[in-house]
Amino acid sequence: MAFESLGGNDMAAQREAINGILPFDPNELKDTVSGNIVNPYPRYEELRRESPVHVGAVDFGEGASDLNPDVPLPITVVGFDETVAVLRDNGLYSSCVYEIVTEAVMGRTILQMDEPEHREHRALVSPTFRSKVLARWEEELVRGIVDDLIDSFIDKGHVDLVQAITFNFPVQVIARILGLPQQDYPSFQRWAIELNSVAANWERGMAASAALRDYFAAVLDERRKNPADDLISELVHVELDGQRLDDEEIYSFLRLLLPAGVETTYRASGNLLFGLLTHPDQLNAVREDRSLIPQAFEESLRWEPPVAVVLRRAMESTELAGVPIEGGADVALMLGGANRDHRKYENPDEFNIFRKERQHVGFGFGVHVCMGMHLARMETRIALEAILDRLDDLKLDPAPGQDIRIEGLAFRSPVSLPVSFTAR
Amino acid sequence: MAEIRIDLEKCMGSGNCSYWAPGSFDLDDDGKVLVRDPATDEESRLVMAAEGCPVGAISIWHGERRIDQGAP
Repeated sequence: MAFESLGGNDMAAQREAINGILPFDPNELKDTVSGNIVNPYPRYEELRRESPVHVGAVDFGEGASDLNPDVPLPITVVGFDETVAVLRDNGLYSSCVYEIVTEAVMGRTILQMDEPEHREHRALVSPTFRSKVLARWEEELVRGIVDDLIDSFIDKGHVDLVQAITFNFPVQVIARILGLPQQDYPSFQRWAIELNSVAANWERGMAASAALRDYFAAVLDERRKNPADDLISELVHVELDGQRLDDEEIYSFLRLLLPAGVETTYRASGNLLFGLLTHPDQLNAVREDRSLIPQAFEESLRWEPPVAVVLRRAMESTELAGVPIEGGADVALMLGGANRDHRKYENPDEFNIFRKERQHVGFGFGVHVCMGMHLARMETRIALEAILDRLDDLKLDPAPGQDIRIEGLAFRSPVSLPVSFTAR
Repeated sequence: MAEIRIDLEKCMGSGNCSYWAPGSFDLDDDGKVLVRDPATDEESRLVMAAEGCPVGAISIWHGERRIDQGAP
């Protein structure tokens, strides 16, 4: 990586190096979608009809992976109520399971902390993500970014919405909120996604982690000298029990928040567009009545949650839905399985923005519920409004033989959404 | 008329309630839930807010009968 040779502190040189990196195609990172599984849902339903809780990992027909005989058998949960029960009981089901992978790439973060440490640390950054605080960014930031992206293809009549919009707007929004120079986004976007997909490629994930650390080091120095109106300036001055955070703690926060902001909304907004484009009647309904956008987004989060697997560890032996769980067992919550639980939703596999509103676990649940949920809702709404305001006759327009689909296991989204449109 | 009951000990300040029923719920400066005016939201929204609370800090009552399901 061009960056490692640069040392941490020469910001101008870093900028120059970064600006030499061109924006890239999300297709390049296809292998980050750990497991290119297109439709895991029939398997989840089959499992759920046997039992909402299973001993062992999900087998998608590739044969079961080798289990380590020295650790308790892992547990897979595909039922809604059972998923909620695990996420709510954060004393029994610990987040420490994230130590293994995420601590290596991100450092110690709130993702792996339990109470009360989790609450104290989350409170340092959560005010930035409250809906009232975010409201100022709607017009000032998000709409402008999306309009600029639309300007770049408005004359063409045809575009890939993933490449042109969903892959590009969330990273620019979170960059501004954190306080990272927006023009650097092609590089930190790549690192963010590579970091998140460390399970698919360990060396690449670790290299991305190191690159981000060096990059943040320079930004932190700058913000200490010249505080601005952004989260990094907050973090360098905030105190916990009378102590400022040390640099490593701040890097950890940023290595969590940047990928979280970059990757999840890119996938979630892509899934919403996929749902609407494959159901043109519902797309038209939303076009006619923009007040339907929030419920359309909630339905897409239920139907295709972008982060589809959450992990916990049982701290002592217990039982869930009658299935015994050994103390120390890892518990995999398949959010996509929970969100299509036939016992909770009618026609769960159907994308229907008019269904009777029920809660879902697309943002997770319990004390670790997505901290960026208000940001995700706001920026996806603004992006869809901009798309509908400016692009008429929007429809999927794949190349011959091109299969447009959502794929992935832990993270799910469409790789591309080629559309034709008429400029308004 | 529905009554909102809050368990402030449980409240984690997710703000999800104010998304589902913005007239009824808000967060104070410490990030804890504040009840505004329950009459401004339809009862179904209050129930969504209660069932959408990630930590189950909200319940909705008709007299002594609880009308939300306590969980999603």
